[in-house]
Amino acid sequence: MRERGVRPEEAAEPADLTLFGYPLEIWYTQLFIGLVNGCILILVALGLSIVFGLMGIINFAHGIFYMLGAYAGWLTVQLTGSFWLALLTAPLAVGLVGVLVERGVLRRIYGTRNANFAGVLVTYGLAIMIPDLVRMTFGRPGKPFAVPESLSGSLFRLGALDVHGYRMFILLVTALLLPSLWLLLNRTNLGLVIRAGTSDNLMVQLLGIDVARTWTITYALGAGLAALGGVITAPLVAVAPEMGGLVLIECFIVIVVGGMGSFLGAVAGGLIIGEALALTGMLYDVLADVVIYLAMALVLLVRPRGLFGQEGMSEE
Amino acid sequence: MKGILAAALLLASAPLYADYTPFYLGLLTEVLVFGLFALAYDVLLGHAGVLSLGHSAFLGVAAYTTGLMLARFRAPLEVSVLAGAIGGLLTALILGVLVLRKRGVYLAMLTLALSQVFYYVVLMWTPVTGGTDGLGNLPVLYLSEPLGWRLSKRPVTRYYVLVAVVFAAILTIQHLLDSPLGRAMRAVKANETRAAACGYDTRRVKLVAFAISGAFSGLAGALLTIVLEFVPIENIHWSMSGSVLIMTLFGGTGTLLGPFVGAGVFIWMRDFLSKHLEYWEVFVGGAFVLIVLFLPDGIVGSLHRLLGRRRAAPATTPDEPLPEPARAQPARAGDVEGDTPLLESRGLTKSFGGLTAVNGVDFRVRRGELRAVIGPNGAGKTTFFNLLTGMLAPSAGRIVFKGRDITNLPAHVVSRLGLARSYQVTNIFGDLSVFENVRIAAQSRVTHYRCWGGADRLVTVNERAEEIVALLGLAAKRQARGAELSHGEQRYLEIGIALATDPDFLLLDEPTAGMSPEETRRTAAFVRTLAGRVTIVLVEHDMEVVMGISDRITVLDYGQVLAEGTPAEIRDNADVRRVYLRD
Repeated sequence: MRERGVRPEEAAEPADLTLFGYPLEIWYTQLFIGLVNGCILILVALGLSIVFGLMGIINFAHGIFYMLGAYAGWLTVQLTGSFWLALLTAPLAVGLVGVLVERGVLRRIYGTRNANFAGVLVTYGLAIMIPDLVRMTFGRPGKPFAVPESLSGSLFRLGALDVHGYRMFILLVTALLLPSLWLLLNRTNLGLVIRAGTSDNLMVQLLGIDVARTWTITYALGAGLAALGGVITAPLVAVAPEMGGLVLIECFIVIVVGGMGSFLGAVAGGLIIGEALALTGMLYDVLADVVIYLAMALVLLVRPRGLFGQEGMSEE
Repeated sequence: MKGILAAALLLASAPLYADYTPFYLGLLTEVLVFGLFALAYDVLLGHAGVLSLGHSAFLGVAAYTTGLMLARFRAPLEVSVLAGAIGGLLTALILGVLVLRKRGVYLAMLTLALSQVFYYVVLMWTPVTGGTDGLGNLPVLYLSEPLGWRLSKRPVTRYYVLVAVVFAAILTIQHLLDSPLGRAMRAVKANETRAAACGYDTRRVKLVAFAISGAFSGLAGALLTIVLEFVPIENIHWSMSGSVLIMTLFGGTGTLLGPFVGAGVFIWMRDFLSKHLEYWEVFVGGAFVLIVLFLPDGIVGSLHRLLGRRRAAPATTPDEPLPEPARAQPARAGDVEGDTPLLESRGLTKSFGGLTAVNGVDFRVRRGELRAVIGPNGAGKTTFFNLLTGMLAPSAGRIVFKGRDITNLPAHVVSRLGLARSYQVTNIFGDLSVFENVRIAAQSRVTHYRCWGGADRLVTVNERAEEIVALLGLAAKRQARGAELSHGEQRYLEIGIALATDPDFLLLDEPTAGMSPEETRRTAAFVRTLAGRVTIVLVEHDMEVVMGISDRITVLDYGQVLAEGTPAEIRDNADVRRVYLRD
């Protein structure tokens, strides 16, 4: 799904310094790829984490929003030719889909018995349904999505490291977005309500705050983040109806490792999982698919609440 | 039971009906196997309340185990199937140990993620598993001597053999669900906190449910290999977990028949819809969402409810006044006095961040005493109870019960030692009958995990439960669901559940909360009658009750003991008057 690595035989020239049989420059390249993958994971996983924190629902449709984001971006590029516009339209359009899902589907289950289970179930149903809808509309095969011309190719060389322009761009987007998100969650009224609702939903309602609207906004925010992740990943991979499944599971792992409901946890977990994928892809390809699951199992055994999770936060 | 017999007859005669073709018989076989898978899945979801999205691993590991035993080791068919079931069981145990560190939807997410590992192992281990091509080259399938029947390319023989195995499995599962263990699973599903307070190790009960579910999912996987004579990689792909979830919820969770009906509907959709519609998953997913939203009991569950409602309609009981509780038995000889305290806490402290809710409490209660704990709101009374019963771990201090240090012991162990509690906010098994609420608590004295014999045949448990239901004055409503009782009746049941575990020590957290004056008076009298039998610590706001029935009173304020003494002493204590009585 995502780029996993460069094989040693593909390396340009044999270098002098090697580590575990790989020239250092390949190490740098892989670490860089891991960092970029990690950034995307952070954005998508944060969306999942925020929604769970406030609503207690594990949103299995989150991968779908990621995929829809990529498609919305692709469509925008097809229609207008502008990648920059796609960066804007994809989160907005998918955010709107999020509003529809929340208002049309999720709203019906709040307050029913086992509402959290039902939330998992209906979003799971959507995750089965929507990829086929997309195949119906856009066809089965994936769509190529070109790297925007201004960002393609190598930006500059940092020592032995070839810095790819588009990857640098992803880093930049994350670097700008993460602090803004943190400010939104920690320094605004909306963020205050979200965080208060996370610890005691009923109490927030009793204070006369319109929680229903906050939930809609939060769900849309989560969907928009996933969509943004989807559209910025799209130039690195082909856009396909199946692309949401794996990213969803990788986000689960990020959240388990980092700690559910923790901003810092999502960041740390995203970086760890991104690097783990990139490095095992290089060192021992066979393990690349499994190693992140083993990491998750280890965290569960040793520190069930995750690296930065609060006690009791993730129990139910 | 009659229904199962009828279904068995119907299925046994299926090949005799006109117009049968091997194709339809094959479909019916598949429905049976997937129905068994869905039933095994529902053991966990419908009976233990655990949502799993990792059952593809159980089915898949078993299917590959059976396939490899047959194809590589040329093992006898029966041995291969058994190995498959064991493979499913072990996979479920591994997964269960890991995921049961969490609960609810978080657990569901973990099952999905961890089940992927098994998929990747199959995918990468191509030389053995065949990778994406699946595992083929199975030998011709025979049953071992003395039967020696050939199953390959003989759909009717295979069909009958599978019907026999699936029915044996259904009967076994039904037996397990009726056993004391099965009841414990239902209690955990209905109210996990209360089940723990009744002495059940809820995590272990759920782990056992995982194991049972895994073993029968494994059996289904093994049978699927026999049916298909091939192991497709789809068996272990995560979409299989989705399929079994859809089947179970289509049919209706919590019933024996539902999973089979659901499997039938699902396979019909798969085979017939996909023939006419390329994008059939839109309909499966859509139908699934609709079922969850509008028909949460599934097809069979909803039919049950429709029929049940019609039948139950005339039997509405008139609203009776809350009955006077019967007289309790007199005190047991020799229990009343003793020098060593039955329960003692030393320096007990609990801090939540900056707030110290309980601060260095020294507390001693002698056997046979009726002690009241009073204090203004927020004085730390309920936190104190939560510490004593193991619901919360103290920040500092020790708790000694019957001479044994119980600090940091989990709630279910504390309960088994004979320390029971009732809750300030009613905390009963709302979905279970009044009788079962009490019975499950009483069962905890006898067995927790016994998986054979009907739970209803535990004679001493039944007698104990009957006795307590009568004592509560709820005999007329013994079959009503806990959630259907009036507030006062629920408060009685609340005490009854605690009593049913036959405790030596009973903590009552505001038993009269929300009661009318008349109900309060009765409850106070009731608690007084209990006092001869068990040692009681009572948190109560109603001063009349407190002064009227307690032997001694402890006053808490800001998490600390302000005063302790007889009702008369407390009434005259200047500090107490100032802080608490406010005059």
